[in-house]
Amino acid sequence: MDIDVKEIGKVTVVAPRGDVDMAVADDVRARLTQLVDRGRARLVLDLAAVMYIDSSGLGAVVAAMKHARAAGGDLKVCALEQDVRSVFEMTHLHTLLAVHATRQDAIAAWG
Amino acid sequence: MPTAVVRFTMTSEADQLVRMRSWLWTQLVGQALPLEACSACLVAAGEICNNVIKHAYAGEPGRPIALALRALDDRVVIEVEDEGTPYDPSGYTPPDLDAVPESGMGLFLVRRSVDEVEFDIARPRGTRWTLVKYRAKPAVTPPA
Repeated sequence: MDIDVKEIGKVTVVAPRGDVDMAVADDVRARLTQLVDRGRARLVLDLAAVMYIDSSGLGAVVAAMKHARAAGGDLKVCALEQDVRSVFEMTHLHTLLAVHATRQDAIAAWG
Repeated sequence: MPTAVVRFTMTSEADQLVRMRSWLWTQLVGQALPLEACSACLVAAGEICNNVIKHAYAGEPGRPIALALRALDDRVVIEVEDEGTPYDPSGYTPPDLDAVPESGMGLFLVRRSVDEVEFDIARPRGTRWTLVKYRAKPAVTPPA
């Protein structure tokens, strides 16, 4: 899967492109986990280019969030398309992690 | 006039899922289902196929998964059939969302996305899932 990674100061922005389903969820999880293990635990997951996410994808997001928090950081998400937002809302994930409207907002929230 | 049924077959590799979703989306939009309902059906059918790949076939590739779509005046009906280990409802526990689970959300999403979910395991092999999505919610009459 095409996953764009940009380091902006102490914040790392991760932007997958395409559907985050069972076929690629492990790739997303591995990429995020590697970043945390390299000391990049302040994560922004930009989902602007993701039109579909399934339970496997959500599992990857949750696992990365837990991993980042255990390392003293966190994972914030941003730019959810309507269908992706709907899945986050159905599973209450939008209440358990920080959701921002834009990438700029998410980066700014790190201070 | 009998209702037309359109069919799709895939095999049990995860990289087949995108092809299934593309087919289903085209069919549902073609039936003038509201886009929000189309998306919900995609979520539900996708999660059922995930479960088939992961549980019914235990990750074994090359096994058949058959989908059928019937569009009726008031609803669409999606069937998903496999030939693997039948679904065991006793193994299902709704996820504790407050515990932030990393797995076990698939069937929960199915039930939240469509209006009716049934499964048939009284078959020679496998499971047939039936998902129903109504075109419009029945009007709720307020209490007198």
